[in-house]
Amino acid sequence: MSILACCVATKSSIPRSTLELLSAARSLSQQLGQIPVQALLIGFEVKERASNLIRHGADEVLLAEHPRLEHPEDEVVLRLVEEVVHRFTPQVVLLPHDELSGGHVAPRLAHRIKAGIVTDCTGFEVKDGDIRWLRPVYGGKAMAFFRAKGTVQIATIRSRAFEPLPEDPLRQGEVYELDIDVEAFVPSVSVVERVETIEAEKGPSLDRAEIIISGGRGMGSAEGFKALHELARLLGAAVGGSRPAADMGWVPHSRLIGQTGKIVAPKLYIAVGISGASQHMVGASSSKTIVAINKDPDAPIFKLAHIGVVSEWEKIIPPLIQSIKEICKQ
Amino acid sequence: MHIVVCIKQIIDPEVPFHLFRIDPVTKTQVRGSHPLVISSYDEVAVEVAIQVKEKFGGQVTVVTIGSSEALQALHQALAMGADNAVLLCDPVFEHADSFGKAFILAAALRKIGDFDLVLCGRQAGDIEMGLVGPFLAEELGIPCVTLVANVIAAEGGKIHLKRPIETGYEVIQASLPCLATITNDESNIPRYASVKRLRAAMRVPIPKWSAIDLGLEPAIISEARIQLEEIWVPKREIRCEFISGESPEEKARNLALRLRELKLI
Repeated sequence: MSILACCVATKSSIPRSTLELLSAARSLSQQLGQIPVQALLIGFEVKERASNLIRHGADEVLLAEHPRLEHPEDEVVLRLVEEVVHRFTPQVVLLPHDELSGGHVAPRLAHRIKAGIVTDCTGFEVKDGDIRWLRPVYGGKAMAFFRAKGTVQIATIRSRAFEPLPEDPLRQGEVYELDIDVEAFVPSVSVVERVETIEAEKGPSLDRAEIIISGGRGMGSAEGFKALHELARLLGAAVGGSRPAADMGWVPHSRLIGQTGKIVAPKLYIAVGISGASQHMVGASSSKTIVAINKDPDAPIFKLAHIGVVSEWEKIIPPLIQSIKEICKQ
Repeated sequence: MHIVVCIKQIIDPEVPFHLFRIDPVTKTQVRGSHPLVISSYDEVAVEVAIQVKEKFGGQVTVVTIGSSEALQALHQALAMGADNAVLLCDPVFEHADSFGKAFILAAALRKIGDFDLVLCGRQAGDIEMGLVGPFLAEELGIPCVTLVANVIAAEGGKIHLKRPIETGYEVIQASLPCLATITNDESNIPRYASVKRLRAAMRVPIPKWSAIDLGLEPAIISEARIQLEEIWVPKREIRCEFISGESPEEKARNLALRLRELKLI
């Protein structure tokens, strides 16, 4: 019996989602009576990272290293995790809810091993020995507890739902190098080309930014976003957008915040010309302070924001930039 | 190329928070007077299918599981440009979970037979688990590519799929038949179905297939592995502090001062 947490890492870094996953696994382990947490570490030249996983909550690490795992294809990860589940028979398999694991590996794995599955979980509780998985439904308008039935349960964990545990230098654990023939996994589809269309972003990423400025349909044009970028440069902030803004091409899809984009939790979230549809707000509602600038006083966003300004953005952003310059000089 | 699109009809997800209700008995959203729509990524999948037909030739069939109310969704897809539609309709389908739905759809696809490409929205706009597409690929034993925005080439039994990534997009090659789950980008914004085309679509005969037509055992469908136990609408207690000011300039200045005071900037 164990909890298997599946992590894809690179030589240089462990993604924050991995640390969040270990935090979730630790918490679940505690509620299930301290069953061990195994971390499956997938990557190339990532052995050095194994001790980090242990210090962040894993009891032991199963190491799968191979050059083909540096930028692993969906199906290779699927076959690998499937093999590990067969060998180690965990009770629960946790994966991050990202494109690779949540969108592809977890569902197919569940079907293959006849496991119960709940995706995009933000929490759980253990009741009479059974796990109830918590997740938002209906675009965040409701919350629900689900049960996953099967000898194995799979859950994918939404980013930002768990805080990484502080590193504990005293934690010790074994690292097992897995002997799995990754070469034997021949995917049925292949990536034949990668086309770079988006310039490398300047400034902080959405994941790391302490301040995020986000624009929506109300911005009216790509031109409108220039003002947001200017404000962002001034504050060292990242710029994001709602789905209408991304669909119009005003911000790249990689900068989409919401249900099907990034889930962010900055210190300050400034939503400009965003009505506050729940599909967008679930991506931003964990922000510490939400500021909304919208010309419609009845916009739903004002029911979700901490600070509101009722005005057309064109009339607020330029003087706001000016005022911040003056105030921050003092 | 024969493209089959699996769609789901849901209550309009744009219903605002204050009108949103859950029925405690059925544990689902109260329909009320809200309109029914094609779930948004499924509508995008219909758009992609029609674009594929326009670029590379072929036909588009849309399939949905639902009651006769779901005919409306099929009519809309036909009006957008799909050629055929099938309604999978049986009381035993109602309680199917994602595994059950994939099982039903797989049976329908086998009955359709000559499909090359299966498209599903990346996730439905109500429960949003994102499971049915990948499950269906597993049921059919065909390759699965997730989060695809479009088809950029199709030749000699192979297709090239465009999958958006952080820095641009990947081109993924797959052999047909295969299944793709569809996400949105600027290339696939669903076209408008005109009233005229909707009227014409209403005249297209739509076969209804039941569990018996599909040769399915009801017991297998209702054996759920994903169970919704409890659902509620959380209370929201944020009180918005409105920034005052005689002019926009004053509001902007007061906002800057307030953010400074809160040590946020």
